[in-house]
Amino acid sequence: MKEAFIKSNFWIGLLAFSVAFPIFIVGSSWLLPGSELWSHFAQTLLPELITSTLILLIGVGIGVSVLGTVLAYLVVMVDFPGRKWLEWALFLPFGIPAYVLAFVYLGVFDYSGYAQVWLREYLGIPGFDIRSGHWAIILTFILVFYPYVYMMARASFKRQKVQMIEAGKMLGAKPIRVFWKISVPLARPAIAAGLLVTLMETLADFGVVSLFNYSTFTTAIYSAWGDFRSIEVAAQLASLLVLVSFFLIYFERKARGKAKYYSSDVSHLKAYNAKGIAGWTIFFFVFSVFMLSFAMPLLQILIWTSEVFSVEWSKRYINYFSSSGILTFLATVLTVAVATILALPSRRKSNSKTLQILIRFSTLGYALPGSVMAVGLLYGVQNISLISIHFGGSSINHILFGSVALLLFAYVSRFLAIAFNSSSASSEQIKPVYEHSARLLGASRWRLIKEVYFPMMLPGILAGGLLVAVDVMKELPATYLLRPFGWDTLAIRVFELSSEGLYERAAIPALMMVIFGAVIMLLFNKLDQEKF
Amino acid sequence: MLSVSNLKISFEDNHVLDGFNLDLDSGDIFALLGDSGSGKSSALRFIAGLEKAQLGSVALDGNDLSSDGSHSVKPELREIGMVFQDYSLFPHMTVFDNISFGINHLSKKEKIIEVEKLLELISLEGIEKKYPHQLSGGEQQRVSLARSLATAPKLLLLDEPFSSLDKSHRDQLVKEVRVILKKAGVTSILVTHDEAEANTFADKIGKIEKKQLLIS
Repeated sequence: MKEAFIKSNFWIGLLAFSVAFPIFIVGSSWLLPGSELWSHFAQTLLPELITSTLILLIGVGIGVSVLGTVLAYLVVMVDFPGRKWLEWALFLPFGIPAYVLAFVYLGVFDYSGYAQVWLREYLGIPGFDIRSGHWAIILTFILVFYPYVYMMARASFKRQKVQMIEAGKMLGAKPIRVFWKISVPLARPAIAAGLLVTLMETLADFGVVSLFNYSTFTTAIYSAWGDFRSIEVAAQLASLLVLVSFFLIYFERKARGKAKYYSSDVSHLKAYNAKGIAGWTIFFFVFSVFMLSFAMPLLQILIWTSEVFSVEWSKRYINYFSSSGILTFLATVLTVAVATILALPSRRKSNSKTLQILIRFSTLGYALPGSVMAVGLLYGVQNISLISIHFGGSSINHILFGSVALLLFAYVSRFLAIAFNSSSASSEQIKPVYEHSARLLGASRWRLIKEVYFPMMLPGILAGGLLVAVDVMKELPATYLLRPFGWDTLAIRVFELSSEGLYERAAIPALMMVIFGAVIMLLFNKLDQEKF
Repeated sequence: MLSVSNLKISFEDNHVLDGFNLDLDSGDIFALLGDSGSGKSSALRFIAGLEKAQLGSVALDGNDLSSDGSHSVKPELREIGMVFQDYSLFPHMTVFDNISFGINHLSKKEKIIEVEKLLELISLEGIEKKYPHQLSGGEQQRVSLARSLATAPKLLLLDEPFSSLDKSHRDQLVKEVRVILKKAGVTSILVTHDEAEANTFADKIGKIEKKQLLIS
């Protein structure tokens, strides 16, 4: 029996190690001797990179925390006109890739975009460069990423105990005071968790920052690899990014503290009733967030699509769509399968420190930009080939480079964290007594997993799968570097066209992605409602 | 029938049981009394094969299950049933699926007959399609009992199964479960800290004192 468990621990460990492989490769870059190129980077670019990345993180962090929390609070605690449909409509921006929102806003506010043309011709305002400074890019990121905080904070507000809120009200606290003194502190861990994901996404973003010509770690990594062909410097820069992510995770843990915040029951709070002007003001505010982050960009995409459809549309788009669809499906199934295996409850597993650390590592890929993940994988494969040749074997480069397998590997490594967090949250709720009952009733380990663990984890597994699907569909840099010949996806098409300023033409693949994403978000929302 | 000998259990450096011996005959209903932290639940979990001990052996019907504190037969092959303190019914399965979980090798028809028989035994006929959350605490524990009895275990272990219930329902259920067990003729051990409960329930009572078992 003992041997069987050690064996299963070994296989789980190996699985976690494989997923973490690109991260180890990136980390091992520091073992290489320092190069001149690195000192050039460190002296000339690094200070500016750090400053601009920090400004971006702080701006986006404050923005999403405030916007996400306020929206969640309004939707849960206040009854205002249109609240019901806005509650789920606010999830929709999740389905829009950040770079799509970015190119739509650039298309409208760029020097030749009609907003700026109008401002120049009718109001005489001199032309400006929307790409300069920090504001435009920070606002774009806030509009795309606020749903992370909104989603977490909303779930937390829904779970807050009625008694606590009512105690506050009975003591004479006004709604605003209840918000600041009771609701927000109670929801702090949830807000911090949403904020963490947002900051990781911002750090890893490639599309938006390159469209805005904004220099961050990701663009520097790309330039080290693309312009200087230095995989070492790219990897060294990337490992700094991993370090920053470690700090972020540490602070999130700290913010969570040891206190137990959640009450397990879902309470049905009676919402404040906002009547008259107050109600409509709130509606207008929430509605405009929805308009700016989803409806207006979608409308713009629709307008552009209708303008260019007859010229631009061709069978190629069916190919882009099916490439995106097949890759998304395969990557999601694989990621969810790996996450489920790693998240299955097991006492032996939780007793092994090494295994716990390996599993932690395997989820760090989320903080790694897709380009780094890709470079790490290519570098790793190349080294394995060199070792193999050294020992008289043959190279594996030609089998793996440009293969679907390697690209899928990159997706699993990159997005495992999302699926893992979701399925382990549901596996943590499985009490050991179920395992003991099943075993004493004669069930084998396989039957325990299939009939007890798996059905109990299923809601978490499905929710994680949907989120992974949206992310894989949107993924750009890893797909760009690793895609097999003839596997251009919708994301690549959008990026190629929009980076050349062909915004109208980019609208067609963008529209297809938005629809795809919105359908998945609606499914996710349905699943989420069943939980409450 | 059951023989536990020389059991020694300690948590870190604190010995809770040392030289614990217990012999039961077929059909005995035994209550194991002890204060919290006295090691009574640990003894039960050792017999079930769920936890190890420093020393001790278990034999059931002449077969060695454990010796020297470790187990030679896995919990799932011991033919020992257990009812837990926490409600342990699988929440995503109906009463029917819960009770028939351990008799998976039977055909659907045989399962239906078996489950019907067991529900009659616990006087809860007609609830096959209900889910655990639709049942009261006492009903859940009775279904739990039926689920354990379905596999026709040689020995049934009950780990404070009544302690989560309120007092008024508890006394009634203790008597009922005794009747059910007598009818089924299964050898049973109840762990409890409630002396009155032990008196109502068992034929024989043992108490853990000074790390050993004293049979009264």
